[in-house]
Amino acid sequence: MNRKIPVIDYGLCMACGICVAACPFGSLDLTAVGRDGSGNAFPELAAPDTCTGCGLCAKACPIDCLAMDERG
Amino acid sequence: MMKGCMGKLLFVDLSTGAFTDRPVDEETYRRYLGGVGLAARLLYDEIPSGADPLGPDNVLGFMGGLLTGTGAVMCGRWMAVCKSPLTGGWGDANCGGTLSPAIKQCGYDGIFFKGIAPAPVTLVIDAKGPRLEDAASLWGKDALETEEILRRDFPGKKRPAIAAIGPAAEKLSLISGISNDGGRYAARSGVGAVMGSKRLKAVVLAGAKPISCADPRGVKDLSKRYADKVRRLRLPRLFTGRLLPFFGRAMGMKLVVPVDGMLLAAVLKKWGTNYNNTAGIVSGDSPILNWRGSVADFGRRRYRKLNPDRMRRRETRRYHCYACVIGCGALCDVRDLTGGAHSHKPEYETTAAFAGLLGNDDLQSIYVCNDICNRSGLDTISAGATIAMALECFENGILTKADTGGLELKWGDADAIVRLLKMMAAREGIGDVLADGTRRAAERIGRGAERFAVHAGGQEPAFHDSRADPMLGVAYAADPTPGRHTISSSQYYNPSHLWEFVPWAPRMTKPYAKSKEYEPGDVEAAKSAAYICYKQLADASGGCLFAMITGVQHWRLFDFLNRATGWERTAVDYMEAGRRMQTVRQLFNLRHGIDPRSIVLHPRMRGEPPLREGPLAGRSLPIEEMVRGYWTAMGWDETGRVPDAAARAALGLDAAAEDKS
Repeated sequence: MNRKIPVIDYGLCMACGICVAACPFGSLDLTAVGRDGSGNAFPELAAPDTCTGCGLCAKACPIDCLAMDERG
Repeated sequence: MMKGCMGKLLFVDLSTGAFTDRPVDEETYRRYLGGVGLAARLLYDEIPSGADPLGPDNVLGFMGGLLTGTGAVMCGRWMAVCKSPLTGGWGDANCGGTLSPAIKQCGYDGIFFKGIAPAPVTLVIDAKGPRLEDAASLWGKDALETEEILRRDFPGKKRPAIAAIGPAAEKLSLISGISNDGGRYAARSGVGAVMGSKRLKAVVLAGAKPISCADPRGVKDLSKRYADKVRRLRLPRLFTGRLLPFFGRAMGMKLVVPVDGMLLAAVLKKWGTNYNNTAGIVSGDSPILNWRGSVADFGRRRYRKLNPDRMRRRETRRYHCYACVIGCGALCDVRDLTGGAHSHKPEYETTAAFAGLLGNDDLQSIYVCNDICNRSGLDTISAGATIAMALECFENGILTKADTGGLELKWGDADAIVRLLKMMAAREGIGDVLADGTRRAAERIGRGAERFAVHAGGQEPAFHDSRADPMLGVAYAADPTPGRHTISSSQYYNPSHLWEFVPWAPRMTKPYAKSKEYEPGDVEAAKSAAYICYKQLADASGGCLFAMITGVQHWRLFDFLNRATGWERTAVDYMEAGRRMQTVRQLFNLRHGIDPRSIVLHPRMRGEPPLREGPLAGRSLPIEEMVRGYWTAMGWDETGRVPDAAARAALGLDAAAEDKS
């Protein structure tokens, strides 16, 4: 089991989906609907078991709203 | 080698099943960047003059953008490219969704198909590399169902990006497009028919290759600044859809007041493109009754039914294309109307196509028409325009019940419109006559039907009225893909602030009389040339038109390009690359026998005769003079032909000769 998973700051996230496309394992998906009342579908770790903690999503995020953190 | 690109293209010969990687050198990227620019240069050589657009010699390409995947926001668009069967010239269609990064993650800047497969196939690219798979069981299924099946059955972990065609494209409807991400469409130029002619049902991309960037920190800084501006945008709560007709009235004023383009982003965040449903009718932007009417014919009681607030009620979630921080799309619940699962919300163009243009105020029927088009693959713009022509032919006795299988066609009859659209999608009865757009339909019907066939060079114009925006008229008439509203217009140019970066672009910062836009001259010509060059840059980069409209001072395309690639080029240098790309697109048309002067706007599009009522009453365009001015500003001659020296320079032939010597 890896140690880190992506943690998303929904106060900053703009739902652009770049992190979802960057994930090689299909771990993230745009399924967190309505976090800010806008109806936007934000990314979330939809398949946590497949996440390897590689950090490609965090690297790809264009506005640095996604960071790798210890698996809670 | 510069960064941002993948350095190679994939060529698939569907006749033989052979795959070929083709490297691209840096000089070629410098000249044509990527996307549509790179594709136009390649296909100029690859597609023989006179090639049958639906034959084996046509080449269909799927292009990612140079900036896609580099961290640049609003740069996630892909383009389908080919020789257009609709116009006979250069064809391209621009689309959002998720395909652009997927093309590059498979290791390519573009994927090209030539030949014709012996039987239906799907291209799959994943960790095992590219392969063709049997698609016989998918042939005949609609585009959305096809995507669902392919996604469900895909064995890999990574969620694939999928592009597919529906039955209309399989049946070679010349107004069909290519679907992606559940109904986002590369709709124009008949690109779907070309894919259908090649028996290519779908493309499934699940690569995971990294996309390089020369200065990731620098690109992120630009993205963050833009995202911060968009995040802060909030329209006042009291600014509801009921106020949009007043917004439309302001847009239709006789005085043009340049505003900050971020206002559009705020409006798009709230309503998507549907903000223009009512505003466009009031301002004169939306053509009514096949371009012969105005808001006076489609009155307030009817246009208020198209209030975009009503459309928001069906939204289940907002939709963003890849890398988009605005999110103008939405998914909506239409199960009560179509019986199908959720669908993409109809765009403004779709609403305009099946509402005001047809005298129809039944909002529910718009969702049904949208669903028919998205599943079958028909382009909503061209399909609506062709139905408008059919209604007017019926009104004038050119079509009768004997022609329509007993179907009575009347303006505003939603049931008849839906039935006719279904017949077009299935090529049944009169639908077969209409399924290839207005020009072909008029040729088949005869009896003077061409009077009601509103098109430019064979392609139906979008629903922004050239009589309201002469620059748009120039784009409709003079772009190598005529009839396209995304090429250029004063509504795009005025907030662009291009002049802050490109000294030769005319400055538009003070209020001025709208009538000036109807005066052919150097300023209007330079505006058209500047925006068209800039648009080519954005298309080559994967950029979104709506980001362009917010202005270069906000969405800093030239800086994005330098930081992503590692180049140190000036905006003027990039604009020359844009000019080069547009020149190659023009040369493609000339090579395929299209006389630029033969692309003539339908008289209604140029205000001949002018409308008698509404905000555009009395307006007509000196379109021929304006087009000549644009051609001259591009460095071409007054007939739209490209002088030999300019042609050789645009094609890079002189540079190639120098390299060899």
